[in-house]
Amino acid sequence: MIRERLARTTGLFHTRAALGLQPVTAPVILYIPLGILLGPAGIGVISIRVLGHLDAVISIALATLGLFIGIAATTEGGARKRLLLASTAEAGVTMVAVGASILVLLGLWGLPTALPPVIVALALGISASTSAAPSIEIGDERARRIAARVADLDDVLPILVGSVVIAMLGSAGMPPALGMLATIGIGLLVAVAGWLLLERSHGAERGVFVLGTIALLGGCAAYLQTSPLLSGLVAGWFWALTSGKTDRVVTHELRKVQHPLIVLLLVAAGAGLTPTMAGMWLFAPYVVFRVAGKLMGGWAASRIAPGIAPSDLGAYLIPPGVIGIAFALNLQQVAPGTASALIFAVALGAIASELLAVIVLPDSRPA
Amino acid sequence: MRRILALLMTVAAVWLVVNLGGEAELARPTALTLGFALIAAALAGTLLERVGLPRVTGYLLFGMVCGPYILNVITRPMARELQIINGLAVVLIAFIAGLEMNFERMRPRLRSILQLCGVSMLVLYAGLFAALWIGWGWLGIGEMSGLQQLAVVALLTTILASFSPTVTIALIAESRASGPLSEMTLAVVILADLLLILLFTLVMQFVRYAFGTAGEVGLLISLLWEIFGSFAFGAAVGALFALYLRHVGRELPLALLAMCALIAGLKVPLHIEPLLAALAAGLVVENIAPPRGDMLREAAERGALPVLVLFFAAAGASLQLDALAVMGWVAAGLSATRMGLIWLSTRAGARYAGISAPVGSHVWMGLVSQAGVTLGLTLIVAGEYPSWGTTIQTLVVALIALHQLIGPVLFRAGLARAGEIGRMDTDVEDVSHAMLNPESAHP
Repeated sequence: MIRERLARTTGLFHTRAALGLQPVTAPVILYIPLGILLGPAGIGVISIRVLGHLDAVISIALATLGLFIGIAATTEGGARKRLLLASTAEAGVTMVAVGASILVLLGLWGLPTALPPVIVALALGISASTSAAPSIEIGDERARRIAARVADLDDVLPILVGSVVIAMLGSAGMPPALGMLATIGIGLLVAVAGWLLLERSHGAERGVFVLGTIALLGGCAAYLQTSPLLSGLVAGWFWALTSGKTDRVVTHELRKVQHPLIVLLLVAAGAGLTPTMAGMWLFAPYVVFRVAGKLMGGWAASRIAPGIAPSDLGAYLIPPGVIGIAFALNLQQVAPGTASALIFAVALGAIASELLAVIVLPDSRPA
Repeated sequence: MRRILALLMTVAAVWLVVNLGGEAELARPTALTLGFALIAAALAGTLLERVGLPRVTGYLLFGMVCGPYILNVITRPMARELQIINGLAVVLIAFIAGLEMNFERMRPRLRSILQLCGVSMLVLYAGLFAALWIGWGWLGIGEMSGLQQLAVVALLTTILASFSPTVTIALIAESRASGPLSEMTLAVVILADLLLILLFTLVMQFVRYAFGTAGEVGLLISLLWEIFGSFAFGAAVGALFALYLRHVGRELPLALLAMCALIAGLKVPLHIEPLLAALAAGLVVENIAPPRGDMLREAAERGALPVLVLFFAAAGASLQLDALAVMGWVAAGLSATRMGLIWLSTRAGARYAGISAPVGSHVWMGLVSQAGVTLGLTLIVAGEYPSWGTTIQTLVVALIALHQLIGPVLFRAGLARAGEIGRMDTDVEDVSHAMLNPESAHP
């Protein structure tokens, strides 16, 4: 029994799929603590100056994640549309449940926060609504496959709502609506330029163009203080919808850097963690409300996409993945110094949720 | 046509972002600059390659034209942000150079390499010293006593006799060149770099004596540490990396990045020279585990392209063109003299070492470039002796601008004449074939 549990725990390091692309060996459970250890609060290998340099890497990683989600979310048929709807419902329910609960709690506690309570509640709701897809293999049962697709697609709504929050806090002095429009417009412009370049390039040069395009997508949003997740999402959508091979080329090339980018993102998140009173208070409610929200969301999604028991779907969606942390990091970028409590609660909440998933995750695979 | 359209759209996107975002306090230009430089510089490199020029020159020209001195699309803060890649780039480039140097393969040529390097450096130092002594009046450094003039001329000779290992290695990697000329040029440049560090420290001590400023206690220890400590540290890192390759062998890009970051990051705390340390690391990997080293070199060179693009675009953006305007004619004259002396000295060295054409006649073409090391030395001089050091700095910066543009073009032409461009791919195919079919390699 103990051996089985241990195997499942260590299995966490290998089986979490990132956006259904490939197994990822860098879950939050390993790299956030590593970041804390290496960061300024730990042994100091990652100093504040190094963290400053990692800011660009975070923007690029955010755009990459947005891009993968954009490509994954592109509708290919009726079944996928139904799944997208189910995922959106699941994310929406979780977001509202967690956001509303946190808002009520903040009101009851009178806890002082650097950001307005509504923004804190909304941001935690957004972070809570994302999930990591379980890895799927040939022979896996249908329920597991549905859960993986729902988890893949339930990041779209959080990215869109999150972009509004980011635009409200950032936008480089522009009205938030203009900031959003500029991010979408420039994201499209870069996507078209990338499409022109990538359809006919080869070899090492193609790798340079892919990296350049992703850096530009992340960099444009970072400069405008908007969401790189959104600019990446827009480009992903565009490439998947246009004719040609750009989406496949980008996916192939980014597989080489996807893992290092996610590792750096999580290590940077861990290294930048600052324990705050508000963060500590928010951590436990965040985990509890998120689990409740996911179970409710799972129930809602299973009504739209049948084939999986509501409780099973909710349990599959408990592992949070990296998008929630990525959003919290983005928030920290546009409102530095005010999002510490939030990122603390989200990062530790992600670790707690991953550990919780070991206990509650349905193991559908044959022994 | 598609590429030009893509380039225009990229420029338009960056222009829009910079104008919409303005100079906001929180604007973070690093990722934007990296993306823009990667796409636009790579396109410029491709464009120049079509007319027979090195891609490196395209990257440099892109940086120069879009940089703060001409179009200002890459503003000064953006150009500064681009520099963050430099530390990593130098380490990666030097590591690749180390991977190129297999003692087993070089052993038959080691004697001739040392002879060529020794004689060439001797003739070059003597020639430059004489030229600078004669042309002292045109340099604009001002009046000095005989001893002081002797010291400053010796110092300037040392700085001008420096080469650029990074440009040489980058050009070999970029043009996929392989053969005796590439190997010989690389060896000469690296040996000259070692000699430069040694001589510069000694000459600076002489300058301090001539100007009556106190000499540093423990200078020799510091020098020994910088050379041998860097080598020892790099060798230790290389041995660990070879073990990693042998026993783990996974996540190579991440491991390579971590190793480069480690060496670059420990430059200040350990007072090591990253170039030497990374070179030693590459040497150890290549000579401990040759087949893996060859495959790693292949992977590193292919993966190094984005780093090279950014490194040279950053160099182009930071070229101080105003220095060229101030010191243009003097710099042009000095540059021509230096090139002539490099040609003469390598001819003499090749004759002494018995090296025939095309290596003997073309090796000079790989020694014209100057870059970061030279600039670093000049900054030390200007910092310690602002009264005349800044004049030297302006002059050397102008020379670097010239040599950055001329050097790669010349070296690529040399490699092309020697027929070595693109031969690396053939060699790697041979290595891969031998690894996959050992019985065919040893009949």
